Amino acid sequence: MAYSDKVVDHYNNPRNVGTLDKSSAEVGTGLVGAPECGDVMRLQIRVNPETQVIEEAKFKTFGCGSAIASSSLATEWIKGRKVEEALTIKNTDIVKELSLPPVKIHCSVLAEDAIRAAIGDWKKKNGVAETEQAAVSAN
Amino acid sequence: MLKILDSAVPVACWSCSVAHNDATLFCPHCSKIQPPPGGDFFSVFGLKPCLNLDLMGLEHEFHRLSRKLHPDRFARSGEHEREWSLADTALLNDAYRTLKDPIHRTEYLLKLHGAEIGEEHAGKDRKGKVDTSRVPADLLEEVFDLNMQLEEMRMARKMGEEDPALQVSLEQAKRKFDGLLDEVDDELRAEWKKWDEGDAGVRSGAQKTMVALLDRRRYLSNLVRDVTETLGD
Repeated sequence: MAYSDKVVDHYNNPRNVGTLDKSSAEVGTGLVGAPECGDVMRLQIRVNPETQVIEEAKFKTFGCGSAIASSSLATEWIKGRKVEEALTIKNTDIVKELSLPPVKIHCSVLAEDAIRAAIGDWKKKNGVAETEQAAVSAN
Repeated sequence: MLKILDSAVPVACWSCSVAHNDATLFCPHCSKIQPPPGGDFFSVFGLKPCLNLDLMGLEHEFHRLSRKLHPDRFARSGEHEREWSLADTALLNDAYRTLKDPIHRTEYLLKLHGAEIGEEHAGKDRKGKVDTSRVPADLLEEVFDLNMQLEEMRMARKMGEEDPALQVSLEQAKRKFDGLLDEVDDELRAEWKKWDEGDAGVRSGAQKTMVALLDRRRYLSNLVRDVTETLGD
């Protein structure tokens, strides 16, 4: 199976690889895994407490090229977005952008899970209830 | 080849026209070779799907059938029989490779009974929620940390440095994960017995447990493979 050019590009030049301080209140960490293939992905965000904008996003993925590309792309997309906007990113957007074949769709699911887990962790740390936040953004 | 054969439906032998069970490679009546049967891998060996297999018996039967199917024996046969000897041999090899390996056998049997295992089934039925139920969080943390250590060690190697402390901790980790892998395998074997001997209720419980154990196992075996590679460089 051949990888698309975009996957190869993200694989060779992954964006935003790295680690943020897990103990910081501004940082949310999501660690997720795909039991089907044994890949693990960690995605971290640093959120500006005033503006709720994700100012930094880092990832580290141990897995196939598609998993690395999916998480690399995910960090690019969420950077500069507000938390609630970042939650609107769907795995299908990643599939489309990277032209992932059906057998690799779960890599994009993993990236979406990682975004949600990181944001969920940040919300928990900062006492933001999921429903409350949704209500605010709906206004 | 994912089909449990209904042995109540007989097929007529192409040569002698006597009806026989579809799963057989040779007609029980006239002993002529048959086209590749449509049953599952177990039925190729005349077995019912089960997890505790007599491996010696399986190997013996594999060799016996391999000899009988060998294309050299059909060099002077008709075109169809020559083709079937190749196709049957390929099927027999696939079936043997799958069944002799305990993990492949378990995965195959679970798939046969409708379990969705492997990459081609990953990420289906999403409802937009993080599904953390399938993998324990502490295992993920451990897997992630060990992967980080591995990477550190590879980087240090690249720079021409050796870190004895890292080497020691990797060796410890390898022993630990080998041990965890053995535990999973023991648990799997306990479920085999339940599946083989239990009624429908026990079976479905065992199937769920085995799918979860195989998920866990995939992480562990990836890790053991990577640690072994790094240590062996």
